[in-house]
This record gives sequence, C-alpha cells and structure tokens, in this order.
Amino acid sequence: MRQLIAKRLIQTIPLLFFVSIVCFALIKAAPGDPVLSFVTPNMHAEDIERVRANLGLDKPAYVQYGLWLKELLKGNLGYSLVNHQPVAALILERLPATAGLMGCAILLAVILAIPLGLIAGAFHNKWVDKLITFLSYIGISVPLFWLAILLIYLFAIKLHWLPSMGMRTVGVNSAADVIKHGILPVSVLAFSFLSSYVRYVRSSTIGQLREDYVQIQYAYGSSRWIVLFRHVLKHVLLPIITLLGMSLAELVTGAIVTETVFSWPGIGSLGMTAVRGMDYPIIMGITLFSALLLIIGNLLADVLYGFADPRIKSSR
Amino acid sequence: MTRIRSTALIFVLLALVIAACSGNNGNNGGNNGNNAGSTNESSSSGSEVSGEIKDGGSLIFGVGSDPLVLNPIYAGDRVSLTIDQALFAPLFQVNNGEKTFYLAESLTPSEDGLTYTLKLKEGLQWHDGQPLTADDVVFTFDTILDEKQNSLFRSNLILGGEPIKAVKVDDRTVDFKLPQVNPAFEATLVQLTPIPKHVFENEANIEQSEKNLYNVVGSGPFKFKEYKPGEYLTLERFDDYVLGKPHLDSITYRIAKDSNAALLALQNGELNVNYINPQDVPTIEANGNFEILPYSEGRLAYLLFNENSANGMLAKKEVRQAISYALNREEMIQTIYSSGEYADPAKSFVTPDGLFWTNDVTTYDNDVEKAKELLAAAGANNLNLKFIISSGNKAMEAASLYVQQKLKDVGITVEIQSLDASAFSQKFADASATDFDLAYSGYIMGYDPDAYRILYQSDADSNYSHYNNPKVDELFDQGASEPDPEKRGAIYRELQEIIAEDAVIYPVAYTKTIVAVDKRFGGIEEAVLKPVVIFEDPSKLYLK
Repeated sequence: MRQLIAKRLIQTIPLLFFVSIVCFALIKAAPGDPVLSFVTPNMHAEDIERVRANLGLDKPAYVQYGLWLKELLKGNLGYSLVNHQPVAALILERLPATAGLMGCAILLAVILAIPLGLIAGAFHNKWVDKLITFLSYIGISVPLFWLAILLIYLFAIKLHWLPSMGMRTVGVNSAADVIKHGILPVSVLAFSFLSSYVRYVRSSTIGQLREDYVQIQYAYGSSRWIVLFRHVLKHVLLPIITLLGMSLAELVTGAIVTETVFSWPGIGSLGMTAVRGMDYPIIMGITLFSALLLIIGNLLADVLYGFADPRIKSSR
Repeated sequence: MTRIRSTALIFVLLALVIAACSGNNGNNGGNNGNNAGSTNESSSSGSEVSGEIKDGGSLIFGVGSDPLVLNPIYAGDRVSLTIDQALFAPLFQVNNGEKTFYLAESLTPSEDGLTYTLKLKEGLQWHDGQPLTADDVVFTFDTILDEKQNSLFRSNLILGGEPIKAVKVDDRTVDFKLPQVNPAFEATLVQLTPIPKHVFENEANIEQSEKNLYNVVGSGPFKFKEYKPGEYLTLERFDDYVLGKPHLDSITYRIAKDSNAALLALQNGELNVNYINPQDVPTIEANGNFEILPYSEGRLAYLLFNENSANGMLAKKEVRQAISYALNREEMIQTIYSSGEYADPAKSFVTPDGLFWTNDVTTYDNDVEKAKELLAAAGANNLNLKFIISSGNKAMEAASLYVQQKLKDVGITVEIQSLDASAFSQKFADASATDFDLAYSGYIMGYDPDAYRILYQSDADSNYSHYNNPKVDELFDQGASEPDPEKRGAIYRELQEIIAEDAVIYPVAYTKTIVAVDKRFGGIEEAVLKPVVIFEDPSKLYLK
C-alpha cells in the first residue's frame, strides 16, 4: 500500500510538468497580452513597450516559460502581471471562501443524492423515479447563472429573506452573516451537483437490486426499506468515493459562474478575471494547484476504495 | 398515459415558478418603499428629511471588479481611479475651463511660458499624519520619470525628447521647468496626483509594493480602512482633509462582477450608487428609491475606418465619405443607445468638454444617392468590408448590424467578425493589421485638444485609422506650442474642420454615462459628477 502511494506520488511530477507546458502553450497561443488589458489611447507606444519589456513579455514564449519554471522550482509562483501581487498569496487568500462554498455544496448534494437515488432506483420506472429523474435533468440542463439570478430575484428582491450578493455584510464579521450570504450560492451549486450524483446512485441501485444477495434478503423476509438502506446502500456508496475524490479539485477551482454571479470572493472569480486579463502567472498557479489536487483526490479515492472493499485491494 | 402525466407535471412546475416570480408584482410600488429601510444593511435608518446637512452615515458604491493598483501613478482602470478620487487629493482640477484648487494654492506660469510655479496650501497632511510638502511632489514627478518604475505616464512628462524638471524651491513651492513652451502642461498636471515620499522612497520596485493595495496612505477626503479582495474596500473619513471634514463617516466599494446581479443588489438596497445601462432605466425608475443621473463622459463613440486595410479602398477619402453618407446618425444612436437621451450626436473628433470644441463642421449624413455617386466615381464596386467587434460588447454588436444593413443599400457587403475581447484589442491596436476595415470604438482624451495628436498625427502611437495628412501633423505641432489662446483656438477649429471634411472617422455620439444614486443621499451637485470616477469630491456627499 505504501509503495503504491509513493509510486503514484512520483508519477505526479512529470504529469504536473506536462500540464504546465500545455497550459502555458495554450495561453501563449491565444491573442492579446496582459498589457493590452490596461492600455488606453492616451498611452504612448514607448511607455507600453517599456512596461512590456520590464514584465518580460517581449521575450519568446519558451524563455518566459523557462523563467517561470525556474522561479517555480524555487517555490515562487510569481507575481500577477496585472495587479503585481504575489500569486501564491492571491490564491491562498481566496481559498477559504471557495473551499467553504464548494465543501458545503458537495456535502449537501451527497447527503440528498443518496436517499433520492436509492428511492428512484428502487421504484424504477414508477412516478417517484420519473419525478426525481426529471428534476435531475433540469439540474443538468438549466444554466446556472439563470437559476442564480432567478433565486436572487425571488429570495432577495421579492421576499427580502436573503442578501443578493457577496460573502458578508460590509463591516460585519460573524459566522451567521457568512452563512446567510452562503445559502443561495450553496443551493445553486448543490442543485447542479445533486443532479449528476443522483443519476449515479440511481443506476447503481438498479444494478444492485438485480444481485443475488438482494433476492436472498427478500427470501429471508427483509422489507424493501431494510434491503435498500442496510444492504444496497453500502454497495452504492462505493462509486460515491470516486466522485468525492474527483471533487477535491473542484473544492479549489470553484464554480466560476456561480462565484461571479454572487460576487463570491473565491478562486473561481479570481481565475475568471485572470483569464480575461491574460494574467498567465495566476492562470498557471490555479491550474497547477487544481491538477495537483485532482491527482491527490484520485489517489485518495483509490486508497479508500481498498479499505471499503477488500476484494479490490487483494486484486492489486 | 405516463407521458401525458409527466408533461402535465412539467407545466405545473413551470406555472409554480412563474407564479412565484410574478406574484408580488401587483403591489410592487407600495412594498418597496417600506422595504428599503429594513434591508439597508449599513446606513443608519432613522433618517428624517431636513434642510440642514448632517454628518454621518455611509455610502456603498457598486464596482465591477477589484481595484488593480491604488497608487495613482499606476492606476489606469476605472475602479482604481474611482477609489483614488476619494483616497488621494489632486493638485487641482479643471471643469469647463475653471480651476478648482485642492492641494495646490496657485499655479503661475512665467512670462516665457517655460516655468510653472506651483504653490501648495499650508499645513497639508497625509493620512498617517506626516506633512505633505514639495518633496512629495518632486518625488512623485521623479518616480514617474524613472524608467525602472514602469509608469505609463512617463511620456507625458517628456517634451521633444527632453524631460520636464521638477525643482523644489521651498517646502511649499515647486518649479516645473519645461524644455519648450507647452500650453497643455496644465492638463498634464491635472493627472499628476502626489504620492507620499516617506512611504515609497525605500522601495526598489514601487509597482510591486503591497502598499499599493493595502494600508494605502493618501491625502484625500477618505482614508484606507479595510480591503477584502473580491468582496469590498472600505474607506473612512479623514478629518484633516484639505477642503474640510467630509460629511459621510465611510465609503464602501462593493465588488459586483455580474452586471445583472449588481442591478438586483441595487434594487435591493445593497448598493447606493451604481452605473446602469439605458435599457435598465425603467426598472430602476419604477423602484422609486433612486435618482437617475445621466452625464457626459467626455467620450466620443465613432466608427473607425482602417486606411491600411488590404483592399486599399478606405484610404480613398471619397469612399469614407460615401460610407458616411450611407449612414444616419440619429438612427444609429437610437439603435445602439436605445434613446437619444443618453447620447448626443457627434460631428467633431473633439468632445464638448474639450477646449475649442465645435460641432459646426462638415458632415456627411443620410444621403444614399450621394453615397452611390461617390462610390461609382471612386471605382468602388461590390465592395466587401470586414467589421471587427469584441464578442459580448452590446454597443459594438448593435453598431455592426446597423452598419451592415445600411451599407447593403449602397451595394457594400459587410462581413462581421466577432473576436474575443483581448484578440479584438490586439487587432485594433496593431498598426500592421490589414485584415479588417471597420470597427466601432470610443475614446476619452481630456479637455486639452493637444491630447488628440496621439490619435491623428501620421506617426503617432494611437493613430488607429492610419490617417496621413501633413497639414494635420503640422497644425497639431503648432497648437501644442502656441501660447496665445485665440490663435490656438483657430488652429484647433481648423483641425476639426479638416478631419471632418476628410471623413477620417464617422463620429457617432458623445455618449453619456448613467448613474443611479440612492435618493437618501444629497450633495451630488457639490460633489460634481465626473467622467470615469463618478464624483470629483466625495467629501461633499451627505445622508439626508
């Protein structure tokens, strides 16, 4: 087991290297550069060229990449080309907001998805199943920004129950205030995650219900609910582990659309601004960070899988 | 059977959603009045309307993004400039040719126009209590001129290859020594906001300083209190402000990245001041809690002709005139800005706030027959033009569709190419781009017409039209160094006529910006609505 983890961790290094090259190449292949994002007609070409040179943007792309990599190996993610603050600090500063938002949304989605999926699977093709499946289709197909605006309109403008934007009231620093601001964005995100999770749980429930052990339980006289929540549940939880492992990366990359609509101060909205301004040190920082977490999340899921189902462990 | 049932279910659900959204509309007006007080989170709610100006209260501006750099020698984005207006005091400002002095007490040019003597007011202070002196002004000047410090204003302080020099005379007096006569120098000084020497003198790279965003030390009516990236930035009252203690206790800039969400937050009372689009005016008016203030931005929106374009046709004056004839300015304004209320028809390349502006120039407008004649005479048959737009930019989209339709009538085919924002700005600014003909753009150049030479002189940096007229080059040079206002006026009026007659651009409108301000706040007139930064002096605002 330990060997496996070590091996997988070593494998991440070339992978991250590869990710960084692809990402950098894509940024450089796109037209435009960060200096253009703050140029106005009143500025002289000479000034623009000087600033571009001072930022190193006049060098060929491979040289820029080399310089970036050299700094990275020293543990420095560089400085934003637009507001000139250190990238690592910018990401860390916004990490708690995003991790909190996504954590709550994923947790809520899983808690709701398991019973809903089980019920839908158990009543395969009955009206309950149809309703749940229908709602999950809505969740997948509805554009998040639209849903978000609709909820803001309803709960903030019409009912005045909740604030419409931000993470806290100006000047107020309390957990209750943050929670109040978080309800809408968390609900929107949870709804979108929920939909795909429910479909996972549902199809795996349908599969499990055909297994022999279920028939045996019925033969022993167990009720439908006991079979479902005591026996099938355990099997259904397995794919959820993989889902959670994959979502570790989402914990940091966040939800660009949702964060932007709700002015949630997370990494998603930082990334959005960076992409618009071609601010490559920030884009690279976020990409690397999320790639790293995706790899770790997968590894974690594999390890947990081994614990949850010893058959898998022994087969390796 | 089951299919019918699930279809019915869809309708029921949709009906519920729609009902929930529209159910409250009936008693909209009555409700909003009551709710405004209860939802306003930070403003004191016990406000009675009285004639006297009271102190206290706080104001929340909505801004579209985080500020990039609050240090005024680097600030170039709208949000940073807006915040800097409260955080830093300028030396002086100019409105309609009248100077308002802030930090400066006077500015006197010498007889020969080569030295400007700036006198600072007495007892000026930075927010941290340190005195603000001539040393700070000289330091600011030298930092901008220092090539290592990356300031984008550097070229403005260079005249004919020689830098302007700032020399300290005593603690309150600075002499600016110009290498040549430059009547536009006052306009340059307007943009020069002193930064504190004692804060930055030991920083090797001022641009990367943390003090550009956190604990910023300024001299304006409000001082830095708190910045939460992605959320808000709060400033609090500075009692020793040069023009007297501000009325409000604090000003907050809330970052609302999505414009639709910002509009909802405004209606919900979570923002007190925000820009709004012409289309949204009825919604905000119906809300009843806001004053709608359209004001001129000193901005010209125009149709650009790329004279470098590969087909060579736009380099011909007649073709540009013909295209202008094919268009109808009033109609175009209606199409792009939904009403003439928020955009005045433009004919000159100078904006109405500029010195020597005149709209009494040659114009080619709305004459399809004339357009066809000119095109035939120029040998431009079956012309194919490419119009580039930045995707998602509503004004550019509307302009391109309008132009496409109108030019069809005179036999010109317009192909619209939508580019992503950074690709668009790169192509637009690329002097060697020959693969596009038309674009819709705008500029804000300030009040001194010398600023426009960067757009229209043949070898200038922002000559996006690639216009080349030696007479124009010469006149701009003359205007820059002509000290007599009368002769100067004649030069710039002639320039406006030549450029209009050559149809270098098709000026469309002097656009206005629309700001919604919560009715509970007063002092808007005294604070002076100003292009880009909203209020010139936020210290004058108060809670009624």
